[in-house]
Amino acid sequence: MDKQEVKAFFDKTIAENEDLSVGVVAIMTLMKIIEKYQDNTVQGLDENLKLGILAIKTSDYPVTAINSGCELFMRFITLAKLDYNSFEQCRNVMLERGNIFLNRLKQCRAKIVKLATKFIADGSKVLTHSRSRVVLQTLIEASRQGKQFEIYVTKSAPDNSGDVMCKNLTSVGIPCTLILDSAIGYVMEQVDFVMVGAEGVVESGGIVNKVGSYTMAVCAKEMKKPFYVLTESFKFSRLFPLNQGDLPPEYKYSASARQLDERDFKKIHPLVDYTPPFYITLLFTDLGILTPSAVSDELIKLYL
Amino acid sequence: MDKGKQTNAPSKGGKVDGDGLTKKERRALKVQEKNKQHPPDNKKDSQNAPAMKTEPAKPANVPPGQLSEKELRRLEWEKKLAEQKPKPEKSENDNISKAELKARRREQQEAQRLAKQQQQKPPEKAAEVKKAAPSPKKVEKKKVSDSRRLQIVSHLYSDASFSNASVYKNVHPAFVRLGVQYSTKKILGSNARARALLAAVKCLINDLQTPPKQEFCRYLETVLQTCMDYLQLCRPLAVSMTNALRHFKTKLHQVECLEDNVKKEKLLEEIETYVAEEIDKAGEAISLKVNEKISNGDVILTYGCSSLVTKILKDAHLAGKQFKVVVIDGRPLLEGRTMLQRLVQIGINCTYVQMNAVSYVMNQATKLLLGAHALLTNGYVMSRIGTAQVALVAQAFSKPVLVCCETYKFSEQVLTDSFVYNELGDPEMLFTANTLDESSPLVTSKNDNLQILNLLYDVTPPDLITAVVTELAILPCTSAPVVLRIKP
Repeated sequence: MDKQEVKAFFDKTIAENEDLSVGVVAIMTLMKIIEKYQDNTVQGLDENLKLGILAIKTSDYPVTAINSGCELFMRFITLAKLDYNSFEQCRNVMLERGNIFLNRLKQCRAKIVKLATKFIADGSKVLTHSRSRVVLQTLIEASRQGKQFEIYVTKSAPDNSGDVMCKNLTSVGIPCTLILDSAIGYVMEQVDFVMVGAEGVVESGGIVNKVGSYTMAVCAKEMKKPFYVLTESFKFSRLFPLNQGDLPPEYKYSASARQLDERDFKKIHPLVDYTPPFYITLLFTDLGILTPSAVSDELIKLYL
Repeated sequence: MDKGKQTNAPSKGGKVDGDGLTKKERRALKVQEKNKQHPPDNKKDSQNAPAMKTEPAKPANVPPGQLSEKELRRLEWEKKLAEQKPKPEKSENDNISKAELKARRREQQEAQRLAKQQQQKPPEKAAEVKKAAPSPKKVEKKKVSDSRRLQIVSHLYSDASFSNASVYKNVHPAFVRLGVQYSTKKILGSNARARALLAAVKCLINDLQTPPKQEFCRYLETVLQTCMDYLQLCRPLAVSMTNALRHFKTKLHQVECLEDNVKKEKLLEEIETYVAEEIDKAGEAISLKVNEKISNGDVILTYGCSSLVTKILKDAHLAGKQFKVVVIDGRPLLEGRTMLQRLVQIGINCTYVQMNAVSYVMNQATKLLLGAHALLTNGYVMSRIGTAQVALVAQAFSKPVLVCCETYKFSEQVLTDSFVYNELGDPEMLFTANTLDESSPLVTSKNDNLQILNLLYDVTPPDLITAVVTELAILPCTSAPVVLRIKP
C-alpha cells in the first residue's frame, strides 16, 4: 500500500467506526498493510509499516494515541518476524496476534466502564471536559443502572466537541449543562468530582489531553475535588514531558498547522496540554484502578 | 557529652548494675584487658604493614599510657578490693563515714581517668596511619571530643576507627592508598569512588598469590573482606561501592573451576565490563536522554560537583546548543568550584553563586540538573548535603528538577530523614579563616555548650523531584523499586 492508500483507508475506517479510538484505527490500518503486502521480504514489510505510520501521523487526527498504539504494535506484533523462517508463516502469526490484540483493545472500554461506574454515586454532580468516548459510555452505563446524577460539560474550544457530548448525554436522558471553558472555576465548587478521558498517558503518570484539561485539574486540586482519568492502557506512552513546553510539537499542533507555520509555533493554538501527575487522583484503566505513580511501573513492565 | 559529665560528677557515676560496677568501670576494665593483649600486636603491625611505618617506639608525650601497665594493674587491684568490700555492706552504706566514701569515689575516678586516657590514645595512632602516605604535615587533626558530640547523630560517630587497625595487616598497598585517598577526600564523588575501588580490586587480583592448598576465589574473598573492612574504617562505603562489590562477589562465586590465571583474567574482564556498562555506557545513555530535554536558551542550574552532570553539559555544548549554566555551591566542601573549573574549560557560559543566593537565581532557571549519591527504594534521593534545599527552592518556583543517576546506584535502603544513615565530615571544616582569627567559640574546644554537626549527605523527598534520568528511561522517583526488581 502506498501513502495515499493508507491515508484513505485510515480516514474511511475512522468515518465508519465512530466508536473507535484513533489509536485502535491506526493499529487496524497497520494490520491492513501487513495483509495487503505483496513482496516476500520481512525487511520490505518493516519499511512499509514505517511508511504507513508516517502517513497516519501526518493525517489531521491527534497524534498522541496514534503514536502509542503504533509503538505497541511495532514492538509486540511485528516481533514475530524474528521467530519464524518462512515469510508466509511469519505474516500469518503477525495477523493472528494482531487480531487477538485488537479484540483485547475493544474489550478495554467495557472493563473501564465497569470500574468507573462504581464511583458515580446517586445524586452526584460530575464535571467533564470535551468529548471522551469512554467517559460517555461510563455515564450512560451508570444511568442505565438507575443512578441519578448531573453532568457539566465544557464547550471545549476550538472544535466545540462539548456540544456533541452534551447532545449525546441528553439523548439518553442524563441531565446535562453546557458551560463555557472559562467557567470551569465557577462550577467547580458545585461539583463532586471531575472525570475526563485522555489522549495519552505519559511515563510520569500525567496525561496528555484536550487543551483545558490542565486548567480543570489545577482548579480541581485547589478546590480539593477528586480528578479522575478514564483511559485505555494502550494509550500509555514512553514520554516524559517536564512541562508544557517540553511536549513534542507534533502532539500539540495538527499536521496541517505545522506545515503552514513551521518556524513559529507560538501563534498556533495548542490542541492538547499536559497535566502533571500531582493533579491526578486516580486513573481508571483496563489494568485496574491505578495511582499516577503506578503508570511508570506498568510501562517498565511492558517495555523493559 | 554525658561521659564528660559523669566523670566530673560522682553522683552520676553511681548507677550501679548487678555486678556492683558502674558502666564506666566495666569499660575501663575492658580497656585494660585489651591493652594487656595489645602491645605485641602493635609491634607486628608496624613490621607488617609497610604504609603504616610511621610509628616509632612511642612518643614521649604519652606518659600516663606508658607507665600504665603496672600501675593500672595495681589500681585495678585496689579498685577490686575497694569494691569487694562494699558489696556485702551495701545496705550498711550509712555506716561508712562520708570521708571514706569520698576517698573511694576519688579512687574510682582516678582509675576511670586513666582508663580514658588509654582509650583516647589509639585514635591518635590511627590519625598517624591515615596521614602516613600523602602529607605528614596535616597530622594535627583533632578528634571530635566526646563533649562536642551531638546526641541525635551519636550513632554516626565511629570512634573505634583505627584503634584496632592492627587487625588489618593483610591489606594490599593499593587499598591502603585508596583508604587514605578516601579519608582525605581526595577521591570524593560517588562514581569516582566506585571506579577507584574496582581499580584497586583489579590490582589485588593481579598481585594475589594463592597460598598452597587454598582455592583462589575463596582466598580472594577473604583477603578482599579484610581490605574492605579497612576501607570501611577510613570512610563509610558509598552505595555505589557496595553495589559494585556485591556484583563482583556474585561473579566471583560463578567462576567455574579453572586454572588460577584463567580465573584472574575472567574476573578482571568482569570488572572491566562492569565499569564499561554500568558507569560509562550508562553515563552516555543518560547524557543522550537529558540532551533531548536541553534546548536553546535554557538556563540550567546545578549544585555541587557531579561527573555525570559535567559530562551531560559537555555533550550538550558540543552538540552546539546555546545554554547557560548556573553553578550553585555550598560550604564546607565547595565542590562547585571544581565543577565550575571544568565547565569553563569546556567553554560553557557559567555563573557561580553560593547557596544563599539560590532564591535569587532560581527565577531565571529553566531546569535543574542534579547528581545523586544513591536513589533509595522509597524514591528519596540521597545526595550531597544541600541538594534537598536546592530542590525545595526549585519546587517553590515550580522549575523541573532532573536527577541524573545510574541504576547501579539504586539502593534497597529506605530513608526519610538525613539522620538515620549518613556520614559525618570533619567538624573543623566548618571553621573558616575568619573564625580562626578571633577567639571564636568554634576554636576554643572546651565549650560544652557548642556542638558542631557536619553531615555529608541529605535526602530529598520524591515530591520535590520531577524525574530521575537513568540509562533505562526517564522515570518518576517512585519507580525505583520496579527498577530494582527488574535489575538482575
